Amino acid sequence: MTPREETIAVGPTRVEVLIGGVGDPLLVLHGAGGNRGWLRWMDAVAERHTIYAPTHPGFGRSDAADWMEGIDDLARFYLWFLDVVGLRRVHLLGHSIGGWTAAEMATMRPDVIDRLVLVAPTGLKPEAGEIRDIFYYPPEELFTHTVFDAATIPERERLFGRPPTPEEAEIALRNREMAARLTWKPYMFNPRLPHFLPRVTAPTLVMWGREDGIVPLICGEQYRRLLPNATLRVLERCGHLPPIERPDEFAGIVLDFLRRA
Amino acid sequence: MKLYYFSEMPHHEYPDAEGDKYPSLRLAFPNTFFSPEIAQRNYQRYLDEYDAADQAGFDGLMINEHHSTPSCVNVSANMTAGILARTTRNAKLLILGNILPIQDNPVQMAEQVAMADLISGGRVLSGFVRGVGVESWWANSNPVHNRERFEECHDLIIKCWTTPGPFRWEGRHYHFRHVNPWCLPLQKPHPPIWVPGTASPETAVWAGRMGYTYVPFLVSFEVARELFDFYRQGAAEAGRTVTEDKLGFLICAVTADTKARALEAGRNFVWRMGPTLRGPIEYFSPVGMRSRAASQFALKARSVSLSKMTYEELVDNYYIVAGTPDEVADRFARVRRELGIGHLLLEAQESRMDHATTMRSIELMGKSVIPAMARL
Repeated sequence: MTPREETIAVGPTRVEVLIGGVGDPLLVLHGAGGNRGWLRWMDAVAERHTIYAPTHPGFGRSDAADWMEGIDDLARFYLWFLDVVGLRRVHLLGHSIGGWTAAEMATMRPDVIDRLVLVAPTGLKPEAGEIRDIFYYPPEELFTHTVFDAATIPERERLFGRPPTPEEAEIALRNREMAARLTWKPYMFNPRLPHFLPRVTAPTLVMWGREDGIVPLICGEQYRRLLPNATLRVLERCGHLPPIERPDEFAGIVLDFLRRA
Repeated sequence: MKLYYFSEMPHHEYPDAEGDKYPSLRLAFPNTFFSPEIAQRNYQRYLDEYDAADQAGFDGLMINEHHSTPSCVNVSANMTAGILARTTRNAKLLILGNILPIQDNPVQMAEQVAMADLISGGRVLSGFVRGVGVESWWANSNPVHNRERFEECHDLIIKCWTTPGPFRWEGRHYHFRHVNPWCLPLQKPHPPIWVPGTASPETAVWAGRMGYTYVPFLVSFEVARELFDFYRQGAAEAGRTVTEDKLGFLICAVTADTKARALEAGRNFVWRMGPTLRGPIEYFSPVGMRSRAASQFALKARSVSLSKMTYEELVDNYYIVAGTPDEVADRFARVRRELGIGHLLLEAQESRMDHATTMRSIELMGKSVIPAMARL
């Protein structure tokens, strides 16, 4: 299906939003790599849900927000976004730093989140191991740690099949800068978040790739333990990008979880 | 033209093959190769050489600071300035410089520089730098904020030196409720400010606007002239006239009794052009540290990486000057003619250049090169 693209102003900050599908609204928050557009898994999920996939401030072609200091700012921004769009209660799905943002939102306004899906979220300090420093490695080297097997990614050609245009390269740089702005210190976690997670009321699905080379799987166990109503689902032979690496299985699991609402 | 002596205080006493095993000598090369016993001797030696440079008549002693690297184990420019403030008599102490963006307490920085200025009898030239990316990693300071923190840290230091306390500072990156440093510089309104540059047009424009002395490091004449043009642009905006006293340049230099010996000694500088600058771009210029304009300028300024040049090319292009005293005096004069500068900073010890060679170079500079430059 073809989503429509809208520019939505949240206060003075305009963000680009992909909107598509029918049914209960699902807000999708992307990771540090930026909004990769309308993805294969979204086609399947959009048959039962209206997907709102905004591009974070400072990312892509959305307005800058140099005043932001951390992911909690982004969380407040998206709660405001819900007000602006008129979504009183949504399913919320976030990946990586988008998952961290979703978790923060759910601690701030548990009442507006119906069901929560956290896909390899950052946000918690791992009890063992470290979250890989994504700003320290050359992108090519980082990519080898990001996915389990690039050759098996169905959308590989469309997403990674050619060198970026100058405009795409500029957007990639902008994405990295905003990600650094939001996550630099403490790196990729909020030491206060675990104290607030018990406030979350939404049934939560935590998903992780067994071979995630960016955020250790143990963080998934920590989320499951700290959230009052969470299950952890681990995908085998999958890295840090389940929505891209295993789009069909990912979509099926998400649909199944949301159907129980 | 004034000459300045500079030693990076290297710690190159390890097998090179060990360093080659890591992505970079900076950040990644383990400090198990750091030898406290060797460093203890080296610090004494390097400080002795600074003292000798003062006695030889150098106009100034340049001091810098780096972290997590064998290329420079001077980990505190202000500490070294404090030592040299006591052990030297005449030379200016050019701190070039304090790495402002990674500082969490600009008030303490203002105090430390003031104390060195007081102990030295008002000889401090206070340089401020943004640092290479490695320093941002070392301090875990967000590179996205580097320029903002540089400017705000600078503003607070200047205010400490020029505005009676107590006062309050609530900026974007720095917050102090009771600022009242009981240590103020001897020089009024404050020590002269110096700023180095390698690639950032914004820094050159800013230095020009502020009227600070601006010093490109190890770039071609062509790039230095372009940076000076940016500097002049900033100066013009502020209605300032640019005199040669506001312009400097840094190169590597050594002299010896024969050309052959000088050229042999000069080879030590190749280490700092290549191996010590090797590493991922992410280490040296982490995301957000450079503006788009600076990144583009850097590509042009370093269209041929220093590490790709042969020793002969580095000598031919004035990154390294090595020769008899007469020869180096001629080449320094050429640098002055090319750039119209008032200050020439000499990185004059490096890598495995031994103490005797370093001392002889200092002595020969003092005997004839410094007097010759003073006449220019």
